[in-house]
Amino acid sequence: MTTAAPSPGPAGTSAPATALTLIIPPRPRGRWKPWVAVAVVLVITLITFSPQWGIAFSFEAIARNWQNGAGKIALLLVPDWSFFPRTIPPLIETLQMAVIATAMGAIISLPLSLWAARLTNPHPVLRGVVRTVLNIVRAVPELLYAAILVAMVGVGALPGIIALVLFNVGIIVKLVSEAIESNDAGPLEAARAAGGTGAQVNRAAALPDVWPAFANQSLYVLELNVRASTVLGLVGAGGLGLLIDAVRTFYRYDQLSLIILEILVVVVVIDVISSTIRKRLV
Amino acid sequence: MTLLAPPRPRRTLRNALWLATTTVVIAAFWSVDIQWARILDLPAEIARYTWLMFSSPDWSKLPEALLQTWRSVAMAWVGTVIAIILATPLSFVAARDFGPAPVRAVLRVGFALIRAVPEIIIAIVILSVTGLTPLTGAIALGINGIGTLGKWGYESIEGVPRGPIESTRAAGGSWSQVVRWGVWPSASPEFMSFWLYRFEINVRSSAVLGLIGVGGIGDMLTSYTQYREWSTVGMLLIVVVIVTMAIDAISGRIRRRITEGARLA
Repeated sequence: MTTAAPSPGPAGTSAPATALTLIIPPRPRGRWKPWVAVAVVLVITLITFSPQWGIAFSFEAIARNWQNGAGKIALLLVPDWSFFPRTIPPLIETLQMAVIATAMGAIISLPLSLWAARLTNPHPVLRGVVRTVLNIVRAVPELLYAAILVAMVGVGALPGIIALVLFNVGIIVKLVSEAIESNDAGPLEAARAAGGTGAQVNRAAALPDVWPAFANQSLYVLELNVRASTVLGLVGAGGLGLLIDAVRTFYRYDQLSLIILEILVVVVVIDVISSTIRKRLV
Repeated sequence: MTLLAPPRPRRTLRNALWLATTTVVIAAFWSVDIQWARILDLPAEIARYTWLMFSSPDWSKLPEALLQTWRSVAMAWVGTVIAIILATPLSFVAARDFGPAPVRAVLRVGFALIRAVPEIIIAIVILSVTGLTPLTGAIALGINGIGTLGKWGYESIEGVPRGPIESTRAAGGSWSQVVRWGVWPSASPEFMSFWLYRFEINVRSSAVLGLIGVGGIGDMLTSYTQYREWSTVGMLLIVVVIVTMAIDAISGRIRRRITEGARLA
């Protein structure tokens, strides 16, 4: 590997050997891989856009319906304020569902989070069982739970709350048990070395460290719940969604517009309150 | 020698928060329109239905379930593509240094508002133009995706190290060249992993969108729930869980590969 080596190749044969040749590092191999990835993505995209196998993306259909639909969508711009009094009870029910579900979800999640984290539950089998069950629970969206639960226990806020609780437990336990994993193992070991029972170790060493993460994620889940609970009524699970369903059947988009505005206000207000508290916690 | 203990920290705010939280929760429990007595026979009910669903799932409708799942996944994919195409340029305009301040502010508020509206409501709104087709679902997911992808996008652009951007500018690079050589090399792994993550979210949401009748697995699930064919509902739930978890696992692996790079052998 001398710098004065004449460059090989047909062009270099006649050139005089110079003292300084730039040695370019070899081009990294495997440069074709990103292109294969791009090709795969393109093929999937073409298939999903195609009419036979995919969802038939066409501007033509939109253009055809435009006349008919655009006028209704324009109604969104003129909210029907006289509808406001009727939206208040469902709105309150929505908030009640969100708060109750958050509280219940948080209470159920606390012990499960301790079970699902390696530091606080050295037993691999039990931990695996909790994690697997919750992974399965998390794979189903809350609205599908609500749809099924309404068929089981009847229309009302109750199926909505149960659906939200399932959804919440899945999230809180995942996030809090991950936070526990990153905690310092020292206090727990000290408590165990001092002869603490499981409950004592949890109470004295684990919980003080878990607490901020737990409160933080519970508030985060409250934000998610407020968003989710507004639409649970679409399947009969109570709250604003019931009203959305009623309004949309008659294409009363002026009333829908008011409901959307209320959702926006409520979601933003709860987000602001919750994130102010969360900032103080962390 | 006396032990000088530090003063106990004041906990007024903390106690006030506790009190407020407890009050709100109790008020909600007390005022909500639910017969709490019913909750006692709830576990038995749910156990009974769970047994009906999963004791012997009815696999005869599996082919149709898979077809509908494919439609849902296709909806999610198209929604992701639409969101990427619309959100990527917008997130550049919304990032500091790239867009004018007023435009930036408008875009950021816009992203926040879109994120506050559930995608199913967006679907209901555009439904009068697009009809009850999977296309509606895809467009709704696309619009909803602008909110999240736009926000993540400008945050990651603002987090890009300044050096490459400045040197591209110093070398006389135009706006688009700064984006290509200053921002894209460091931002692209994050962008791609956001896209994949958004696809995972969309897979879940697309199942939900079926509830309003735009097709896909959610549509099938609501129908069979209404017919109270629990053994089919059980089968559909199993399909939803397996497909969602499989897509999450694959997409999660690709994301890790993108953000962490190849593992050195």
